Amino acid sequence: MKPPSPLLSVERVSLSYGRFKAVREASFSLGAGEVLGLCGHNGAGKSSIVRMLSGLLRPDSGQIVLDGAPCAFRSVSDAQRQGVALVDQELSVIPALTVAENLALGEPGLGLRGTLPREEARRRLDAVGLDHLDPSRPLEDLSIGERQLVEIARAIGRDARLFILDEPTATLNTADIEHVFKAVRRIAAAGCGVIYVSHRLDEVLALCQQIVVMRDGAVIAEQRAEDLNAAKLVELMIGHAPKPVTKTARTADDGSRILEVSGLSTEPTVDDFNLAVRPGTVTAIAGQVGSGGSDVLRALAGLAPTAQGDVMVQGRRVPLGAPRRSISAGIGFLSADRKGEGLFLSRSISENLLATRLRALSPHAVLQGSRMRATARKIASRIGIDQNRLGEPVRRLSGGNQQKTFLGRCMERDDISVLMLDEPTRGVDVGGRADIHMLLRELASQGVAVIFASSDLEEVLSLADDVVVMRAGRIVSNVPVAETDNVRLLSDMTHARLSEQVA
Amino acid sequence: MFALQLKRVLLPGFTTVTALLILWFAVTTQGFFTLDNARAILASMVFVGMVSIGMTLIMVSGAFVSMALATTATISAMIFMASLSFGLPVAIALTVLVGALTGALQGVAIGGWNANPIIVTIAAAAVLEGVAVAFSHGATINPTGTSYTVLNAHLFGLPVGLYALAVLALTAESILRFTRLGPMIYLMGDNRAAARAAGLPIGRIGTAVFAIAGATASLAGIFMASFNHSASLLLNRGTLGYDAIAAVLIGGAAIGGGRGSVLNTMIGVAIIAIVSDLVLLRGFTTGEQILLKGLVMVAFAVGVHLRQEQRA
Repeated sequence: MKPPSPLLSVERVSLSYGRFKAVREASFSLGAGEVLGLCGHNGAGKSSIVRMLSGLLRPDSGQIVLDGAPCAFRSVSDAQRQGVALVDQELSVIPALTVAENLALGEPGLGLRGTLPREEARRRLDAVGLDHLDPSRPLEDLSIGERQLVEIARAIGRDARLFILDEPTATLNTADIEHVFKAVRRIAAAGCGVIYVSHRLDEVLALCQQIVVMRDGAVIAEQRAEDLNAAKLVELMIGHAPKPVTKTARTADDGSRILEVSGLSTEPTVDDFNLAVRPGTVTAIAGQVGSGGSDVLRALAGLAPTAQGDVMVQGRRVPLGAPRRSISAGIGFLSADRKGEGLFLSRSISENLLATRLRALSPHAVLQGSRMRATARKIASRIGIDQNRLGEPVRRLSGGNQQKTFLGRCMERDDISVLMLDEPTRGVDVGGRADIHMLLRELASQGVAVIFASSDLEEVLSLADDVVVMRAGRIVSNVPVAETDNVRLLSDMTHARLSEQVA
Repeated sequence: MFALQLKRVLLPGFTTVTALLILWFAVTTQGFFTLDNARAILASMVFVGMVSIGMTLIMVSGAFVSMALATTATISAMIFMASLSFGLPVAIALTVLVGALTGALQGVAIGGWNANPIIVTIAAAAVLEGVAVAFSHGATINPTGTSYTVLNAHLFGLPVGLYALAVLALTAESILRFTRLGPMIYLMGDNRAAARAAGLPIGRIGTAVFAIAGATASLAGIFMASFNHSASLLLNRGTLGYDAIAAVLIGGAAIGGGRGSVLNTMIGVAIIAIVSDLVLLRGFTTGEQILLKGLVMVAFAVGVHLRQEQRA
């Protein structure tokens, strides 16, 4: 039985950033007690919807109706007062305070370190499934997932009616994900509405009753979850069935090596790492977080001061420890820390694309404006980014488009013969991931040796030609992808014998 | 949350009210709207203007501010006066070279070794101050000859220094916009770790920025010495460096780096010059002058930065 007026209805809402239309006349509604999944390719407009619902941005046209009353949120705190709670990666709980103190934050009449009555704190923690958690524990002892739950519990205290969870499980382990699921089900059962934004389609399908799919800023579908499956969702999101990644035909080994690494070690992680890579191949360094793959790449990129070992690119020795030396030897590197060590967030897309080739674009140190624009447009069209957005700050792009911009930096260049990526599709949705994989295969087919570190089995198996598995800083196995599968990979990553001899 | 709301209320009126207040002051101050006073304001922009060009580059590059530029100007003034015996062109070249070198040394430490810019420049200021004392024995240095007076000449009613400032500002802005160094400075200021990983020559960028800043500060010193017909430790009266920082902030450069422009800084310099002129014409005491100037700068800097935060 559906209530006569829904808890939330979004009516023909539009939003533009400059010339770029992020959301076009999007409409959908959410009933009390319902969980709604919001899905879409990167740049589809999900984040913009979330920002409008939480008071960060105001729609250009259309309206948001909460509990039958149209509302224009003037700010985040205004939206909170009207019953909207946003839970995203940037948590607003304070690690230095205890759980109880965090719950009391912002409560009228209580100071910074005030506390709620014990029963009240208990009631709120129970409501999100933290039944056994001691409210006097400092928040910093909690896992990220538990912190998210505390944040949800706090919103419950504010009598929030609409909860927006933006990629809540992106950084969580399985046990924490289960906690979040339980909490979501409980708050929905209590009559609140939940909007669940996630790239993980299986989660959306398991948790939500209603699913809204967005593409290019418009709502493409609003359907009951039981009428959908993962394959249909992907098709709706990208507008066509996903193309399988085509691998370059495996050429006979002619003995040529573009990159040779021997005896590489970094304090304290990597120990005696050896690798030889042929041009035009994609090599995965698979392993769980902290197993050393990422450290190997950082060492080769010149970003590990303590690295030691012999590295040759095209037969020439590369000194380790200076990023500029590695780059001039032809090694390109994309860090897993896209925001901290990759992009220039408040500078424009085109500046980000051109950052590493300024020298080539400025003979006699003077920039050639027309060549710069042409180059930026060429890369943008190759990586699939709207040319009208080239002047926009990268901060405004979705995760997937940010990663493409980052990758674009190493494309259309003859001087890069080895491209290394650390977690190439972390925080990127299904469609963006397929695009990035295709771009990497394309680079390989042009003769670049692509090496990536990943903890994602599916990514390793679908993208790589050769798979090196690492554990505890050492190589466990090194085989062509045809000779392995996810069972063997997982066992190598987690518990196979370390002493196994490697060719 | 509360701060956000406060901003929303205060913001639209903030800059406008400050500007109107200044305008009202200007209208009711006798002698403000005269050609002579306009010339006086423009002429007073020269010293702060030159120092603030370098300060802008430093802030855009992510090195916050330099505390050594005013002292660089002072010691440059002394070197200039003392070296006039070699002839004016040699004296200018020598002085600018020394200024650029002192800047470059700080730049190597800050850009190359990632030393804290505030600490390095305060230390450099102390060293330069010491050198200045040793060099001058605390006395005033008088020029040999009168060749320098050409720098005090007027062209179409405006001092030569103002033309020099205009040329310098346009040159610096062109470096930022049209040369390879420009985007590198912005990128390094936006994210130093990313710039390093992207293989930008951050040591060289930092060195270049501080060398340019040292050179423009020396030029300020040269014009200060010429204007005063002598050079001594008291030349910059203590406010030169702070005025330059204020001008850069009023001009809207991001304190953390990655954003700013020399031409906008020049607007900041003009605002400071107008306010200084007003408090002088009004006959406030020195203490009151400093207080009022400070308040106006805070108002402008805060107004400009609130607006940018909202746009971002």
